[in-house]
Amino acid sequence: MHKLKYYGRIVSITCAVIAIFSQYSCTKKVNPSQNIIIASSGKIESIDPARASTLKSYQLLNALGDTLYELNNEGELIPKLAKYKPIISNDKLKILIKLKKNILFHDGTPFDSYAMKFTIERFQNIGTLNYILNKKIKSIETPTKDLLIINLNKPSSSIKGLLTSINLTPISPKFYQDHFDKFLNNNFIGTGKYELKRFSNEIQTLYPNKSYWGNKTKNKGINFIGYNSSSALYGAFISKQVDVLLSNSIEDTLRYGLNLLNQKEDIKEGKSEPIEISFISLRTNKKPLNNNDIRLAIAKSLNRELIRDKVSFSLRNSASSLIPLILKKDNSVSWPDFDPKGAKRIFRDQGYCDGNILNLPLTFRSNVPTDKLIAFYWQQSIKAEMKDCFSISINGVESTTIYKNLSKGIYPLVILDWTGAYSDPEAYLSPLLSCEKFIENHCLKGESVFSGSFWASEKVEKLFKESESLEGVARLNKLLEIEKLASKSLPYIPIWTSSQKAWAQNNISKPIFNGAGIIKMSELLKNEK
Amino acid sequence: MPINLWIISSLIFILLRIAPGDPIDAILGSGADQEARELMRIKLGLNQSIKIQYINFIKNLINLNLGDSLSNQEPVIQIIRNALPATIELGLFSILIAIFIGFPLGFVGLRNKNKKYDYISRIIGISSYAIPPFWGAMMMQLIFSVILRVLPIGGRFPIAENPHSITGFLILDSILKNDFNAFQGALYHLALPSITLGFLLSGIFSRSLRLNLEKAYKSDYVDAATCRGINEKNILYNYAFPNALIPIFTITGFAIASLAGGALLIEVTFSWPGLALKLQEAILQRDYNLVQGIVIVTSIIIISINLLIDIMIAFFDPRIKY
Repeated sequence: MHKLKYYGRIVSITCAVIAIFSQYSCTKKVNPSQNIIIASSGKIESIDPARASTLKSYQLLNALGDTLYELNNEGELIPKLAKYKPIISNDKLKILIKLKKNILFHDGTPFDSYAMKFTIERFQNIGTLNYILNKKIKSIETPTKDLLIINLNKPSSSIKGLLTSINLTPISPKFYQDHFDKFLNNNFIGTGKYELKRFSNEIQTLYPNKSYWGNKTKNKGINFIGYNSSSALYGAFISKQVDVLLSNSIEDTLRYGLNLLNQKEDIKEGKSEPIEISFISLRTNKKPLNNNDIRLAIAKSLNRELIRDKVSFSLRNSASSLIPLILKKDNSVSWPDFDPKGAKRIFRDQGYCDGNILNLPLTFRSNVPTDKLIAFYWQQSIKAEMKDCFSISINGVESTTIYKNLSKGIYPLVILDWTGAYSDPEAYLSPLLSCEKFIENHCLKGESVFSGSFWASEKVEKLFKESESLEGVARLNKLLEIEKLASKSLPYIPIWTSSQKAWAQNNISKPIFNGAGIIKMSELLKNEK
Repeated sequence: MPINLWIISSLIFILLRIAPGDPIDAILGSGADQEARELMRIKLGLNQSIKIQYINFIKNLINLNLGDSLSNQEPVIQIIRNALPATIELGLFSILIAIFIGFPLGFVGLRNKNKKYDYISRIIGISSYAIPPFWGAMMMQLIFSVILRVLPIGGRFPIAENPHSITGFLILDSILKNDFNAFQGALYHLALPSITLGFLLSGIFSRSLRLNLEKAYKSDYVDAATCRGINEKNILYNYAFPNALIPIFTITGFAIASLAGGALLIEVTFSWPGLALKLQEAILQRDYNLVQGIVIVTSIIIISINLLIDIMIAFFDPRIKY
């Protein structure tokens, strides 16, 4: 009897706890939030445009603010807060931008050229990525409230790309007056379609800006949430705890699972143009990779199709170029294709094979799951096709350590990826190929040192300089010429390009992206039924 | 305690500096040029020699100044103050759940020695040691969130609602605000991570209670009590259990220390915005100041709790004198 009483107590306590939870979870199901819940991986440390450097913070800033220009899916410049396309002076040292009038910040103050000047100067002063801008901009003038003049140090055609940069999203000078020289991490006052109602590193709540100057949002608000693991993100979406899953960083097996659900029409999938490029960097300043033929043989040993199929389940596009296709319209420049026989022939000509096997270490970022698989499949493919000539030994190193050591020339072969800071071919070529100081083809100081290739070319530097003073097709041709030189000298071997993807429950409209890979949150529509 | 803290803080300072990786790369990315890197290095004071950095660090520490985070320039103490309540809340509930699971298992095992229930309780106890925390957490998510859909997969509070922020302890804050809905919401989100962590810790409690209770039952004072005709229930509650609890106090100290490690995996898996998650992020970003700050604060907490436990043991057991 006593025992029965004891167990009875335990059962009643357990029932009470379950009742609390079940009542709560039922309440939540009956009264779902009218806001759309978008989940993504990681969290946002700062909502300050001067500090933002992650795709997630860009996504949020894009919803909360407007840039002067935006790129459409064709890569064309579309005025947003600017009235027209920028006018460039004949000497290409002045950029005139006419601004739209009657636009208000979320705090009610007007947006004008002074606000834009304040934003750019603040970014130059404290911006984390201000090194991109500081060398280019000499001064900023504001002759009238709706005219902005940017004076450049030297002609630069890429400045137009920079004007689409989310880091230059205008902010209210009044609100940020005490934060000109320091970050404001947890608040944002811009001109965008949404206003920030709540900010924590994990959850951000956005409500529509009722006095927005342009098209209004199609939804009643957004809750933006971050989960720390791929599995939690996937689980939250599958169990319908979130409406939209937005992430390029979830593992490929989970992407594949979502792709299957999309094919069965259980969910909707939206994707951006592929703008992230994964590649192998080859250390060209030391033996044996200082030999162009060896680099060519290695490039021919890479079976991109096998890697694409096995690692990404054919969900990524194998790449034979350093510039994403959207930014160059055609695929005229191409890296060598997989050709094991050709690779073996070159290795043999260089004195390898038949007992003399060239072994190189391949380093990959241990915290990037796909990198390990790329390394593994490449290693196995080489083993199957040319084990008597060439082999690679694979080593995983945490990404921060790799970035630190790249410029020290520690890694002969290393897998990396890159997304341009702005949507322009130059944003892909310059950080990988440009070099300030070099001897013959070896870079001593410059961007290619920091990318681990140490490759340099006088001709490439000349073409970069020439491209600065050109525009349109002429400029693009110069940049393609640079890429062509790189495809012959092979300091890098492209692997694949990746798109940003978003998946929505069936009661939500299909997610769409702009040309910079940013989801258009305001276009998401929730079917209340 | 000050010597312990000096050793810990010096060790963490040295280990961070000799570890590969650079906060500049984490902040600027690999695309920044040399000039930008140097400017950032000067801005963050990382251009100074290690010796000067160390002297400044110790000087600041003596003045209770943990510095600013290298990555977001916020005061480290503020970041810790924001994240610590989440970790304490999770830790406290996990310990309670560990006791709630562990003690009955220990009792059942001892009362049914070498019988079916004893084996079951032992298997459960050993499983809780053996299960890797991240795997256990993912299984709990799969069962309760994805399949049964009764508990949220992560986070600390309902997405669409605003938590009350008085102390940072959401359960306490909802009680202080008399908001039952917020209380339910906080409890609802706390349930899965704390049950998981509690289960993983429960083995320590069940095993130690079983062993110490068994030892107490074999002691002379229990035999004497039995001879005096004191009933079984009284012997358990007044003789065996209080004596068995003393070593468990010590073990609780160890459990709290191991909680700091276990909480990391649980916080990451359940996206629980606590100190362990901050530490992981700070390590990845090579945010020296934040890592140092978190390690020092965690050390202070662990040392203080162990000190408190030692004092409690001395209070409960008159044989122990310091």
